[in-house]
Amino acid sequence: MRRVRRPRQECETCVRGARSPRMSSTPEGAATGAPLRPVEFEILLALAQGERHGYAIIREVEERSEGAIRLETGTLYRALHRLVQGGIVTPIERRATDESDDERRRYYALTPQGRLVAAAEAARLARLVAAAQAAQLIPWPVIP
Amino acid sequence: MSTDRPMRPGSPDRTERFVRGLYRLLRRAYPRSFRDDFGRDMDETFADQWRAARARGEWSMARLAIVTMTDTIAEATRARMTSLPAPSDMLHLQDVRYAFRLLARSPFFTLLTLVVLAGGMGVTVFTFSFLYTAMLRPIPLSGGERIVRLQAVEDGSVRSFDAADFARMRPQIATLSDVGLWNSRDVVMGSAEGGGARRVLETTAVEWTLFDATRTPPALGRAFRPDDEAPGAAPVIVLSHRTWILAFGGDSTVVGRRVLLNGVSTEVVGVMPPGYGFPVAADSWVPLGSAVREATEPGRYAVSAFGRLADGATREQASQELETLLRRARSDRPPVAADSSGTRLGVLVRSFPMAQMGDEGPYVFGLLNLMAVLILLLACVNVANLLLARANERSRELAVRLALGASRARLAMQALWEPVALVTIGGGLATALAAWGLGVVNRWAQQHMEGNLAFWWVWGMDTPTIIAAGGFMTVTIAALGGVMAVRATSTRFHEVLRDSGTRAGGRGAGRAARALVVTQVATVTVLLFFGVLSGIAAHRFANMNPGYDTTRLLASSVEPEAARYATTDARRALWTRLYDGMSAWPEVEHVVVRARLGEGDDESGALEFGDGRTLAAGATPRAWVQGVLGSLEALGIATLEGRPLTPGDRAGQAGVALVSRAAAQRYWPGKSPVGERVRLPGTGETGEDTWRTIVGVVDDVMYGDEFSRDRSAVAVYVPLTQHDAEWVTLLFRHRGDAAAAQAALHTTVTTVDPQLVPSRVSTYDEILEKSALIARSVSRLFAICFAFALLLAVSGTYGLMARSIGMRTREIGVRRALGASDRSIQQLLLGQGGRQLGIGAVVALPLMVLVGLAFARFFPIAPWLALSTGVGVSLAIVAVVLAATWIPTRRALAVAPRDALFRE
Repeated sequence: MRRVRRPRQECETCVRGARSPRMSSTPEGAATGAPLRPVEFEILLALAQGERHGYAIIREVEERSEGAIRLETGTLYRALHRLVQGGIVTPIERRATDESDDERRRYYALTPQGRLVAAAEAARLARLVAAAQAAQLIPWPVIP
Repeated sequence: MSTDRPMRPGSPDRTERFVRGLYRLLRRAYPRSFRDDFGRDMDETFADQWRAARARGEWSMARLAIVTMTDTIAEATRARMTSLPAPSDMLHLQDVRYAFRLLARSPFFTLLTLVVLAGGMGVTVFTFSFLYTAMLRPIPLSGGERIVRLQAVEDGSVRSFDAADFARMRPQIATLSDVGLWNSRDVVMGSAEGGGARRVLETTAVEWTLFDATRTPPALGRAFRPDDEAPGAAPVIVLSHRTWILAFGGDSTVVGRRVLLNGVSTEVVGVMPPGYGFPVAADSWVPLGSAVREATEPGRYAVSAFGRLADGATREQASQELETLLRRARSDRPPVAADSSGTRLGVLVRSFPMAQMGDEGPYVFGLLNLMAVLILLLACVNVANLLLARANERSRELAVRLALGASRARLAMQALWEPVALVTIGGGLATALAAWGLGVVNRWAQQHMEGNLAFWWVWGMDTPTIIAAGGFMTVTIAALGGVMAVRATSTRFHEVLRDSGTRAGGRGAGRAARALVVTQVATVTVLLFFGVLSGIAAHRFANMNPGYDTTRLLASSVEPEAARYATTDARRALWTRLYDGMSAWPEVEHVVVRARLGEGDDESGALEFGDGRTLAAGATPRAWVQGVLGSLEALGIATLEGRPLTPGDRAGQAGVALVSRAAAQRYWPGKSPVGERVRLPGTGETGEDTWRTIVGVVDDVMYGDEFSRDRSAVAVYVPLTQHDAEWVTLLFRHRGDAAAAQAALHTTVTTVDPQLVPSRVSTYDEILEKSALIARSVSRLFAICFAFALLLAVSGTYGLMARSIGMRTREIGVRRALGASDRSIQQLLLGQGGRQLGIGAVVALPLMVLVGLAFARFFPIAPWLALSTGVGVSLAIVAVVLAATWIPTRRALAVAPRDALFRE
């Protein structure tokens, strides 16, 4: 298995006045209850069903939202960058998309922590939906 | 799963290759670390998207391309911004102190850089401020930005309004408030007690509401009242502050004193505050008269107009409204002789500064500011070269610091402080330099442009200048700082340390050096092209040939009081007596009495042809019209065909005219105009048209402003005794004793009419000098700026090429050690220098075309001259660059290969 490249780390102690650690973006904050960005949750939803490469994530998000959400490449990979840095998503090896295809794509998968984060975000959104239903902003689901 | 399988790749077509190539190029905007991690993935995903879009059709492909490129730029920008260190990490005082220590350790370098930066930024700030004050700054009155000048345009020519037309328009004007009329003329002011010096004043006849309309009450005395305009009212005058100081010594009891204005006793009722000269350069103001303001007879009075834009109204709206009203006023009355026979009628609504500069103003502003910015760019290129050379010397230090763990961002910030310090100090010096230059210009203008100086032309350091200086400094810091930051962060420390610092910068530094050379070549080429054109213009102004002999020629104007010379015959008799009286003096060799007879601001007149010809597209033939009493040959204007005007061409005889050679060529091409008939609408004995027979053709004399596109030699001369003029100029050539000739003039005038006062006598050389003063002075001013640019260009080009070749000394040593001949190395380096030259020339070419076209807008220049100037400048640049390449090449070849191999 090929070694996965990690983001480069700067030396924090080599210069005076070491850089203070910037507050992390929301992927880490999600573990403490802070909401994820919508595009990040969409990506986690796509990965929750299995490993995906970049184009597959885009297609799945577009199909699930019935065309309402179209992820562009830049947006997708910046979000993946944040998710990878936050340890929520991990890139895995490149492999062919099918046996007859020579082209190899790099796949991405949820880490265990990522699955927890996605579940926490889903629960938060479910609570919001319930509150909206209670406030009669949206109708209660009809039980057949 | 079908959704996650990318489209099977077919062979990428040309479009796909181009779009993916463009995408890879844009992707370079992301931070390097991001590109390293995700770049390949992004390429592949985009390729998958493209193939899917191709299956859907061209519209999908186009949409994908546009959206992806836009998204890439946006996200790359966000990624860059989030990769910056926290603000608290960006400012380290020790970095600032370190930068200043470095500069102090290299005093020569620091001084040289400061001189270049101060000069470059100083020229730019000065040019911007000079032009802004001349053309864009609102006039210094309350609400000055909304006070506009109104001008009628007929068949492309700017003209004054007919007072009767404006009186009909006025009640219906909604887009303007505080509308006013004026007329300007020179009057002679003398002491009512007799004796004392006479003074010629630029006097503006205005409506009594002027000072209210401009929200400026007099500092002494009172403004005009309605009864000052009534028929038969006692003459009154309000003085400008300058006139009050110069003529009355600032006497506070001046209000109520009486003066003689063109011989008429007039009471001084007020003095305006300092700096007020509305509408342009007024020395004094007198009432216009209700007869003009309420005129009903068209063709009788021509007036200028101004107004204040009403709340919410724009200039465009005012222009449209006035054009509609003017057309309606014209159509509601029968046409008069003074009307243009064309149909293109419009109204210009412009600020006073822009109206004063004319149509060419914006081109002058844009072109000269562009040149100044190019000078700044040239200075930046030179300084960047110096800074990069220093950075190369410190490459090992940077490499060690990187190896010890310093972040590139931190190194970039440290590298920024040197240019920041240099530009800040240089910018301060530049601002001081510009302030000094503006002060010099202002003092010179106040002293030398008396009577020609618009009251808003006050140059000095003001808020827009300071803002401009700050803006130029910021841009310079960004440019130089960016270069140094990129240089600092692109150091590959392992390569530098491995090679013990013998690599002078590597491939990136070489590219940067070549880019600087190309920028230098392009900038210098455009600047030198414009500099040479300016030099040609300056030379022409300095050697302007009026077309006739101005040797020992004196000039003085005479304007009799309208009430005392109310008829045409009375005025003609006056001109004749003046002419006869002057001709009798032995001190006077020749006399010509001349009057400009054109109407409107351009002083040209319309023509009609006896054969009924009209010009194409309904254009009105026009010419500069001069009324003459005396011989044109006395002025050196030779008769080329037919006969000159004679004393027999007088009132009551058949109308005659002379035309210039240019007029003959334009309107009677290929044949003689002698015997043809023309009519000059608005001229003639009674102000009505009369047919004149052309009796001769004379040599050309140029008429019109130097900056005017109407400037031409197309002229018609008619006998003054067959015409009517309200004032004339006496041109007389003395025999060697100018003082005696002047005395003869005063004696003649006093003998003819004791109440008549001629204007100050000037030599014709003084008149020409004054008329070209602005143009000549601006040309000289910018010649100094371009001399600085030339110095930068020559020294900078050599410095750039020397550094570029110096960086390759080791490479040259390797090549020679491997057997390359000196000749082949020379060819290699000269060839590469030539390539940079070629690229720079290609970049410069469209700019040169742009500069040439803009220059031709305000200074007509023959295409062959512009082309040969461009070719000459290009050849000179080629010579400079090749010489700047050849000399360092010889020096590099003089180093022994063994020494070159170990050179740092």
